[in-house]
Amino acid sequence: MVVSLIFKISLKALLKKSFKAIKQAALVAAVLLHGPLFAEPMESAHDLMARMAKASRELNYSGVFTYEHRGNLTSAKLIHEVREGKIYERLLHMDGTQRDVVSRSDNLDCLRTGDMLLRGNAYKINNENYSRLKDFYEFHIKGDGRIADRQVSMVHVLPRDKYRYGYVVAIDKESGLLLQSVLMSHSGKPLERFQFVDISIGESVGHSDSQIKGGVFGTVDQADCVELNSKVDSPQSMWQMNWLPPGFVLASYRSPGEDGQESMMYTDGLAVFSIFIDSVQGNTLPPVDAKLGATVAVLTKADINGHQYAICVVGEIPRRTASQVASAIGIGP
Amino acid sequence: MSDHKERLEQSLSALMDGEATEMETHRLLKAVAEDPQLRDRWKRYHMASAAIKGDPATTSIDYSAAISAAIDQEPAHRRNPITVFAGSAGRFAIAASVALVAVFGVQQLNSPTGNSLIDGSGEISEFAGVETSPENTGPAIQFPSGFQPTINARTVSAGGNNKTSLRMAPVLDVQQQAEQQIKQQYSEAELRAYLNNVMTKHSSHAALNSNQGMLPFARLSEVGSQEGGQEAGEAVSEKE
Repeated sequence: MVVSLIFKISLKALLKKSFKAIKQAALVAAVLLHGPLFAEPMESAHDLMARMAKASRELNYSGVFTYEHRGNLTSAKLIHEVREGKIYERLLHMDGTQRDVVSRSDNLDCLRTGDMLLRGNAYKINNENYSRLKDFYEFHIKGDGRIADRQVSMVHVLPRDKYRYGYVVAIDKESGLLLQSVLMSHSGKPLERFQFVDISIGESVGHSDSQIKGGVFGTVDQADCVELNSKVDSPQSMWQMNWLPPGFVLASYRSPGEDGQESMMYTDGLAVFSIFIDSVQGNTLPPVDAKLGATVAVLTKADINGHQYAICVVGEIPRRTASQVASAIGIGP
Repeated sequence: MSDHKERLEQSLSALMDGEATEMETHRLLKAVAEDPQLRDRWKRYHMASAAIKGDPATTSIDYSAAISAAIDQEPAHRRNPITVFAGSAGRFAIAASVALVAVFGVQQLNSPTGNSLIDGSGEISEFAGVETSPENTGPAIQFPSGFQPTINARTVSAGGNNKTSLRMAPVLDVQQQAEQQIKQQYSEAELRAYLNNVMTKHSSHAALNSNQGMLPFARLSEVGSQEGGQEAGEAVSEKE
């Protein structure tokens, strides 16, 4: 139809032998033929994700976002500011009972495994194997949208296997910030949604010193910082993961503290799950399988040399993945 | 690709658009039961159309195979003279069979050896109104309150699903007995505290390592507001 229209216009132009008309026809043709291509990304979806990973750490922004799951909605206010090489973050719940404000600071140059993966770096698992985000997800740019009164690119992130969920994300065109993130089940059902309703980005945010430095900011543990091509290790652990969903790598490890809890956290760059192994509470807790929003918690028990341990896998991953991880945890050599 | 298959896929597209004939629909239902590829295609179509509409809320849980199988395996309500007498009873039998198959299907999908058509987590348990933990060898128990804010099937659109959870009653009884035994060994508050603790730590981890920055902390809002959840949770367990 488009072609016939162009043809008609061209024909008309030729008949009239008017140069102007030909030019017009060419213009119309160009618009018609290339119209759909305008939706084609200027940046690849990969570039967008990488830019997002950078922007969420390095920019100044503050805004209000909502968190929704299974018909429940809550809202929170977020402040993120970079000053003198440090990131100050503050999160305040806007509804319900007055709850703790999360305030923390982090070194800007501390990159973590998730950042590395999201920025498109290959993550070296060992000498032969690399983990790359694109081996486990497909990225498709699905056109434009508008979130929090800003122009966004919509990206569908589809898992390549059943061990992880997919996402629909909206990335701000100008800044690269993530403005919406919907976790999708394998049957295409939204499990949870983060979405900004209002956000200010850039220098103009300008929080007062009291807002940033006045509060008590807990400092984030810097132990998980990684260099390119390095990885987090868990040398002291007696536990061994006999199965991990492909693509997930260790991003953080905490040796057992006074409370007898050892923890490790794994990520594939987008999805995250944590494993907690308790030796003290092991005797009292029953095996349980809980779900809170999109987060599952699978608690199992292990009996090692007559001592009971509680092993809990927590994360935004399919329950089956969590169970499989939990049941494959054993004692190392 | 065979002509037959091609025709089926065309019918599938037609059904998606609400334009399939009754004949086509029957043929599709039969074929879908036997052909996982076709089933996948159906799901993909739905996802694609949902994406086009910008409507992520469209679900595509596929019960067609299970339901058509149930109807095939339901000779009783036709031959049994009692059901012939009581027409309403016959209709009830069909409804019950569908409900039972739904329950059966749920359990199958949830089991680790089951056909992994659909991931057996959230959506299914929400549908059935009860969470099962097939991987755990220990007895299943109710979650601590606050951790399962919606135990009923409120968000499910099909009306029959509430019946499904009623039909799960025997299972719930077993669970409750198990729960009684377990309750002697641990305090629910302790478990809740433990889960809150690991959730908080996990969120803190996740906020550093996922694409979402600080956003995962918002998940904690549920954990924090226990008062409301606690009451709701207790109300639910009393009902059962």
